[in-house]
Parts: sequence; C-alpha cells; structure tokens
Amino acid sequence: MAEAALKTVPLDKARALQWLQKYGVYAGVALLLVVNAVITPHFLSAENFRTQAVQVAPVIIVALGMALVIGTEGVDLSVGAVMALAASVTALYLGYGLVPALLVVALFAAGVGLANGALVALVGVQPIVATLALMVGGRGLALVLLPQLKDLRNPQLASLGAGDVLGIPYLILIAAVLALLVAFTVRRTTFGRQLLAIGDSRPAAQLAGLPVRRVLIVVYVVSALLAAVAGVLATARLQASDPTSLGNLMELSAITAVVVGGTPLTGGRVNIAGTVAGAVLIQLLTATLIKHDLPPSWTQIAQAVVIVAAVYAARGRGKR
Amino acid sequence: MAPPAEVLAVRGLSKTFPGVRALDDVDLTLHAGEVHALIGENGAGKSTLIKLLTGVYRPDAGDIVFQRRPVSFATPLEAQKAGISTIYQEVNLIPLLSVARNLFLGREPRNRFGLLDFARMHREAEETLRGYGVRVDVRRPLRSLGVGAQQMVALARAVASEARIVIMDEPTSSLEPREVETLFSVIRRLRDEGIAVVYVSHRLDELYAVCDTVTVLRDGRRVHHGRLADLDRLSLVSTMLGRELGEVRSEGLTKFTGDHHATDTRPVLEATDLTVPHQLHGVSVSIRPGEVVGLGGLLGSGRTETAKAISGALRLSSGRVVVAGAPLRGGSTPAAIRAGVSLLPEDRKSEGIVPGLSVRENISLAVLPRLSRFGLVSEARVDSLVNTFVERLRIKASSPQQKVGELSGGNQQKVLLARWLAMNPKVLLLDEPTRGIDVGAKAEVQKLVDELAADGLGVLLISSDLEELIEGSDRVVVLKDGAVVGELTGAEVTEDKLMRTIAGDAPARDAVEEAATDG
Amino acid sequence: MQRTTHRSLLPARPVLVALAAAVALTATSCAKSEDDAADGKKSTAAADAGQKVAEPKPGSKTCSIDAYGGRKIDLKDATVGFSQSEKEANPFRIAETQSIRDEAAERGVKLLTANAQSQFSKQISDVQDLLAKGADLLVIAPLNSDGWDPVLQAAAAKKVPIVTIDRKINATACKDYVSFIASDFVEQGRRAADQMIEATGGKGEVAILLGSAGNNVTTERTKGFKERVAEKAPGLKVVFEQTGDFTREKGQQVTEQLIQSKPGIKGIYAENDEMGLGAVAALKGAGKKAGDVKIVTVDGTRNAVQGVVDGWISGVIESNPRFGPLAFQTLDDFTQGKDVAQDIIIQDGAYDGDNAEQDLGKAY
Repeated sequence: MAEAALKTVPLDKARALQWLQKYGVYAGVALLLVVNAVITPHFLSAENFRTQAVQVAPVIIVALGMALVIGTEGVDLSVGAVMALAASVTALYLGYGLVPALLVVALFAAGVGLANGALVALVGVQPIVATLALMVGGRGLALVLLPQLKDLRNPQLASLGAGDVLGIPYLILIAAVLALLVAFTVRRTTFGRQLLAIGDSRPAAQLAGLPVRRVLIVVYVVSALLAAVAGVLATARLQASDPTSLGNLMELSAITAVVVGGTPLTGGRVNIAGTVAGAVLIQLLTATLIKHDLPPSWTQIAQAVVIVAAVYAARGRGKR
Repeated sequence: MAPPAEVLAVRGLSKTFPGVRALDDVDLTLHAGEVHALIGENGAGKSTLIKLLTGVYRPDAGDIVFQRRPVSFATPLEAQKAGISTIYQEVNLIPLLSVARNLFLGREPRNRFGLLDFARMHREAEETLRGYGVRVDVRRPLRSLGVGAQQMVALARAVASEARIVIMDEPTSSLEPREVETLFSVIRRLRDEGIAVVYVSHRLDELYAVCDTVTVLRDGRRVHHGRLADLDRLSLVSTMLGRELGEVRSEGLTKFTGDHHATDTRPVLEATDLTVPHQLHGVSVSIRPGEVVGLGGLLGSGRTETAKAISGALRLSSGRVVVAGAPLRGGSTPAAIRAGVSLLPEDRKSEGIVPGLSVRENISLAVLPRLSRFGLVSEARVDSLVNTFVERLRIKASSPQQKVGELSGGNQQKVLLARWLAMNPKVLLLDEPTRGIDVGAKAEVQKLVDELAADGLGVLLISSDLEELIEGSDRVVVLKDGAVVGELTGAEVTEDKLMRTIAGDAPARDAVEEAATDG
Repeated sequence: MQRTTHRSLLPARPVLVALAAAVALTATSCAKSEDDAADGKKSTAAADAGQKVAEPKPGSKTCSIDAYGGRKIDLKDATVGFSQSEKEANPFRIAETQSIRDEAAERGVKLLTANAQSQFSKQISDVQDLLAKGADLLVIAPLNSDGWDPVLQAAAAKKVPIVTIDRKINATACKDYVSFIASDFVEQGRRAADQMIEATGGKGEVAILLGSAGNNVTTERTKGFKERVAEKAPGLKVVFEQTGDFTREKGQQVTEQLIQSKPGIKGIYAENDEMGLGAVAALKGAGKKAGDVKIVTVDGTRNAVQGVVDGWISGVIESNPRFGPLAFQTLDDFTQGKDVAQDIIIQDGAYDGDNAEQDLGKAY
C-alpha cells in the first residue's frame, strides 16, 4: 500500500508540475482577474484595463528583448540603463523634432547593443559581466548627457505618450505589434531558429556553420533597441526625461516576466506569449496590492513568491 | 561448493513511455561474482532497464528483489547507497574539483574537527587510483586528465563505495586499449570479490573477453539469456538484430562493401601541410571524389584535429585546404561549409546535435538559409526536405517534432548525417560516426557511407574500430603525434599492417601514455 | 579541442572605450533640446531665497570654540571641505551644492568638494581625503546617520570643526561636531497638512504618496502630516498610503491606480514635488481638471511652484536646500569665538495660490 502511494504520488506531482510550467502563468493571470473582479471596486472598467495595459507596456517591450537574449543563454542587465539613455538623448535632441531625436536614440541604443554583443560574441565575456558594465556605464552616460530631470513639451511626444487610435493607446498598440513581430521572428525566421540553436548548444551551432557571432550581436542590439523604445514611450508618457530614475530595476522586472512566462534561463527556448503574460501577471499583482492599499513591502514579497514558484515549476526543464 | 548467492532478481519488469513500450515483462537474475553482458540495439530497452534498477525511473509493473529484499529506489542516490553503483558512458563527475575530491565526493574522510582531511584523502586517492593504472597528481582538477583517466576515476569511485552490483554502461567508449585491459583486470577483481557486474557494450570482443552470462534485449523484451560461451558471435548478432544467421554471415560484420569507384580524377579535397601549434605538425591528406580515406591512429594522434582543421573549426598556423580547386579561407566553419565540406563531429552530444530542438529543426539547421527567402523560413520546403531524409535514412522518431535529445544515439547520428546531406556536400568528414550507436544503426550508417562514396562524395573516415576502418576505407592515412607516419593503399589495408603502422618504430606504449596525459 | 575559432579581440576594448567617449562628446556638442534658450535664466533669481533660521526654542543649547576645543581661525584664510552624499541629479542636491560653492566664492574661501555617489563607504573615505588634503573646517551632508566614528576621531585629532547639513549624525553635539543645520521634516508634514485641510475644507478622503521606504524624510513627513490631520481635521481620512519612491514615474503610476480604485479621492499629499508632478500627470491622463483633486507637495522646486501657478497643485511646502550662507555664517561665528546653536532649524517657506506667481523666482 505504501509502495503504491510512493509510485503514484511523484507521477501526479510531475504531471502537475508540467501543467504548471505550461499554463501556470496564464492561470495566474486568470486567477488575479477573477479575484479582482470580485474584491476590487471599479476593477471591471475599460479605464482600469487601459491603465494596467499602459503601465505594463514598457515592461513588455523590454521583456521581449530580454526573452531573446535569455533564449541564447545570455542575459541583458543594461536594459534599464538604455531606457535612461534613451530618455536623456530624447531630451537632448528634441529641438530638432521628434523623428530626428528618435533616430539619434536608435543610434545610441544600437551602440550599446553592439558593445554588449561584441563583448559577448567576440571577446567572449560572460553576458552577465558584459552587460553589467553597460548597466553602470550606460546610466552614467545618460546622467552626463542630462544630469537631472527635464520637462518636455513637444506635442508630438506628448501625443505618443497619451494619444490613441480608436480608443487604443499608442503604447498598447506598439507593445502588441512588437510582441507579434518578435513572436513571428522566433517562429518563422532563420534568425529565430539560429538563435534557439545557439542558445541550446553553442558548440553544435558553431560546427553547424551558423553565424553565431552575428546572431548574438544582433540579439543584443535588438534588446537594446527595444529597451530604447520602452524608454522613449515611458518618457513620452511622463512628458519628462528622467535619467536618474527611469528604468531603475527594469532589468529585474523584465527577467522576472521572462522567467515567470516559462522561458528557461538555460537557453534554447523562447516563449513570447508567456513573457507577455508574465509581465501582465506581475502588473496585476502589483496593482491589486496597491489598490487595496497593502504595504509596499507586500508587493515585493508577492513578486518573490511568484518568481520562486516559476523557478520551481521550471526546475525539471533545464535537465536533459 | 554452494552456488553463489543471488544478488538481484528482477521479475516481469515493464515500463511504458508515451507511445512506446520501452520495457516489456523483463526478467534478470544476477549472482555474486557474475559478469553479465546486457546487450541489444539502441532502443532495445537497455538504458530503461538500467534506469529502473538505479531509481531514475519507476517501473509500471514488476518486482526488483535486491539481496532478498524487495526494493523501490526513489533516487539514484538511494540505489547507490543500497549498493548499486553505475558508471555511465559520459563521465558524471565535477571537472573543476580535484581528482581526489571527485573520488571521495560525498564520503570525504574527515579529521576530528569535522574538517576535510586532505592529507589522508590525497594519500588514499593515490593508492586507490594506482590500482586502476592511473598515476596522476590527485590534487589536479579532474578535467586536466584525459577522458580515459577520468573514466577510471569514475570507476574507482563507483567500486569504492561498497557496491554489491556495478553497472557499466559502455565504459570503454573513451578508453585506450591499454586502459581497457586495466578495466578488465578491475572487473575480474570485482568478480573475485563476489560483486556482480552488469556490462553494457557494443564491442563484441570485450563481451567475450570478460562476460560470463548474457541477456539480449530486443524491442523491450528479453529474447535470450544464458551463458555467453554457448553463443557464438554471429548467433549473438543475429539474436540482437532478430535476423537469420545466414543473412548476417553473408553480409559480414560491417556493412561496407569495400569496392568504391575512386576514379583517378583530381582530388576534391587537398589539405596540405596542416599545422596547429601543439596539435598538428604538417599533416597532408587528399581525397578524390568517390573515395573513402580512413584516418588511423591512436587517441590523441591528431585525427580529430585534422578533421576540425579542414572544416575550419581549428585555426591553422600554416598549411592550406583546397576544395575542388578553390582555396578555403582558414578558420571559418561557415566558409568551409559553403565550399562543401561537412564535419560530423566526434562528440555527437555536445558538438553535434542541438538536443532541445526537434528532429525537424536539427536536420534543417545548416541548410535553413537556402530554404528561406528574406530570412523567412519556407515551412513547406523544410517539411519536404525533412520527410525525405527521415525516410531515406530511416530515422526513428515519434514525429519530426520530437526533441533530438530524446532519440537513441544511432538516430541522433542519422539526424546529423541528414543535416549535412541536405547541404549537398562535396566532402564529408566523419569522426567516429558509429561510436556508441547500436549494431543495427551502425550497419545502416556504414552502408550509407558506401552509398555516398559511390555517388561521388569524398569521405574522410575516422574510427577507433579497426574493422570499420579497414573494411570501410580505400586508403588509410595513419597519424601519430600530429603527423602522418604512413599510408596504406589497396591490398595493404589489413588489420595487421595497420596495427604495425600505428605502432610505428617507437614502442606504442609511449604514444599511449602521452596521449593519455594530453587528453 | 575547445580552442575553436575564438579570436581574441582584446585590443578592441580601448578602441570601444575611446569610441564611446567620442560619441558622448559629439552627442552633447550638437545636441539641441527644445528650450535651450529658456534654460539660462533659471538660477539667476535665487538671490533672496536664502535660508532663514526659525526662532530658536528657549533654552536650546549652544556651542563655542572653548567648549569644543580647537583654535580660532579667520575663515578667509581657511580651507573648507564639503562632502556631498548623493550625485547632484535632483534639484535639491544641485541647489544645495551650488549654494555651498556660491557662498564660498562670495566669501573668498578655498573650497574642496567630494561626492559620495550614494555610497556610504565612499563618503567616509571622501571625508578622510578632505582632512588629508588640509581642510580646516568641514561641511557634511551625511548619507547615513550612523557609522561616523572613524571620521569623527580623525577630525577630533586635527581639531577640525564639523557642521552637518540636512541630516543629523548620531554623535554628541559640541563634542563630535559643532552644529546641525536642517529643515524640520516633521514640521513640513504638519504644514502640508494645514494646506491640505484648507484646500479640502477638512473633509473627505485623502491619499499619501510616500517617499522611499526606510528613509527618515519619509517617516517624518508622514508623521507630521498625520499628527496634524488627526488633531485639526478629524473629518479628513487618510485612506491610501503607497510609496512613489520619490520619483515622478512611480508617483504617476501609483496615482493612476489610486484614482481608479478610489474615484472619490479629494486630495493627494505627495512627500516630494516629483511624485506630486507624477500625480498631476496621472490626473491629466485620466481627463481630470486642475483642482478636481487637491495636491499638496513638499520641496519647492520650480516645476512644482509652476504647478501651483497653473492651479494643478494647491500648495507646496518648501524644503530649502540653500545651506551655503547659513553654514558659512555658523562656521564664521564659531571660529571667531562666538556661541552658535547646536541645532539650527531652518524656517522654510511655502507656496500657495497667493504667492506662487510672485515667488516663482525663489523656487529651485
């Protein structure tokens, strides 16, 4: 009898874990929606959903790039700094108009991405170390360029942050389009498959003749560009460039979204839908606690619990 | 004399994975001091049986009675503590820890303060390893040892932990002949001490040299068991493959036909004076279309390095590679692949397959840009290509979507072959193409190599299996210490000649020892 | 075998660094932000915005050079060391450092400065450096209150008088240091409550945007506000307290959540201007009009005072960062042998609808 129990329990547990890996994040989102619909006043309103979506949009955009980087068994700690850099560069060049400013922002972001990618792919520095350098240096540069918060009054920028199409804010539209684009890239392009192969087994990818360095560099550039988009959008929403605090701890939020969404840190797999859901889950969790005026430290604890749960569920996946 | 005690009795063991009956009602009995050969093609259920015995999996049905008590191990650690040790094909130790630490991992000697007693540990480690023919500084990290020596450390570790049963899963796949001898003497010592050994190998010589009894598995079922001496080699192979005796005999032991049509056209590959510091010293090899050139030599003689240098994976300090008349830019794998040179690497698991990706994606990996337009993959073209190769190479997978990491070694190798054949290469560099794969798949791979050569491909064949090298190659270039020491052609390609060339003028032992320390 | 095709590109690193530097230089040289012309006049009108000392409480302690030990010196010949705690990346720190520099220049005193970049260990070594470089007097804006013993011992050995500004250190006044000059953060909270009561009529639900957790400014500004509300306007209920980390972005995000879950909120007390401006952005985004929700903030930055002028903010309690004149006056008095107060509390100003427009120039 005891033996029978021993035999069945781990199986059920394994199955439950498998289920949790696959659908846990969606179940979490659904659960939070239902709970909030019941206990939170004014939760079921268009404005509320709009607010949550607008707030989570920059996180999603950064997490998309992070998911790609993590898919190559890397990590990009510099995304928060790139957001700050995008903010200060936007402020510096807005005098030429929005589009020129955005082009310069893209140049800067590409530069950071190139530097990250070169350190990782050519010099062979560990991603965590390489991007740590630019996490510190990038914010430093941002503050050199713009030492303090600066209000921006460009009307185009303002409408980018607050405007909408058919009632859907630009922020949400942009995040959605980028998510679809990245998901498509992962699934249907040579680049996407090469990225996954490199993340799964870099030596094998190398011997199979894949352009390993090029793919890695492009991945880091894409991550930086997406972070810059997020930085510009956050700046547009704030109508102020705040390099001192914009993007602080964003790298952690993004990594959390990716991991909670079921992308393993060991590379070789990228789950874009899960990443989006992961970001939404954290957003809803935070919103729930804020709306019910629970102490801020609870938010951190709740996030920690979600991360631990995600890592626990992903435990079996790294093994081959 | 009383019959030796029964150590293990397995009855009616079954295990089903989604879609596969991996093990079906299998019995196995082990007595103290018995060396038991467990054989079968890959996918026959050997690994599943071992994993059930060692607590990695749990049986769906059946009993395991170990030392007269029914057992159900939850983890490999539990099994190990109870007295069932396993040595895997790949060394399962911690490369950065010292040799001694690895040997004593989890049962380190401690002094009276509860701290690690390094002096004692090092002394005992040296003593123990000497018994296995390994003389090294045990303070060095494990990874500084050659693979063979690492395997010996793993063996010593398994045996030292008071095992009643030692399971060896292809223990000799990375050992040198001398080390194999040491392993056999260790096995004999274990036998004399009353320990039961389960020995899994594809090398028939070894089985007959060391095993007393045999269990043959096929398709998850036990198809034969008894004394090994009662079964001759051909019967063994036919039982394993489930084929008629006459069929096997007529086909020989390898699938090579031996008659290629190496025309006297210009070589498709000319590698001249390849030099890589410390590894290759002016190696030259040329291959004509339709020719299979064998690369012989001991472990560490520079065979793998030669193949890697040709394929651009090793940077040359001098020398050049010309493919079909065009010189190759050195040090670039993509350039070599574009020119039509494909390498099937020796280390299939870490340098060949991409384990987490599907069969489909592994096969299409290299050729993908050719099946894409503007970076967008044409799924239809990928599908048709993958289907063609799965069929042609008889790749056994539940579907093209199955992860390659879940396939048997033979099928993984076929996937890799498919990956390269999809590129329409001119030259195929095969580094140990049949190592660690089952007899059936081995035969298929060998046959395929023949066919490819017949189609006009130039093939470089590296194999530690002399039989394979001799029967498969039109010519054999022999390397020693990173340089060519001889070449055998036509009627010269015999086992005897080859052995002598490999041994060369100097005593072979020196080369072996150097290779072992170089790793 | 692992030595595949890893070409070392180490020499590329200096090139990368140089490239980055060049990029930074060119970026700033051809930059053009939208209102470059307007930036210049910002710091000009600050002349009459210096700190005033609040009336000392009767019986408050003083310190003199005889009690402290040390020698009289003429401030004009002295070298003053100033240790700043954080990067000058927010208006408060910028104005604070600038004020010290301006006053030193005004008085012709040699000034040595250091910035700890928010690392306490760096601040300790900064101060030790200043002492080693020959500072005769020290002005310190401490990052922490604790952990100053090594510095105090080094200063005591050299008999160097210390004035701390805007945060107190845990040590004995007139023994380990001379004076402490700062605003009264609890009082700022009380005055913010007064403004909130006035703006809301003392009735309804209000929210607090807290500063960073674990920061004494947060604790004291919260304490003062709640005390005064409880005492003077029991009809005013604090129903929401969430941190905005002193940043505009978090202030905006938290306010967005707030106005959705509590649409009836009457007022928002933001514990610094930036969060208050974030709240304004959130209200604008939600289609509210100026004055729909009363906002009271603390600090007195230019942007916030402009918000008062525009009607979005009801009141701003000043927290004056211009410590220069007062700090140097204290040091001057002390080194001449006069008695100086141990705790010097600044009389902070306030901006509301009545004076915001005319006092906009005083804001920093």
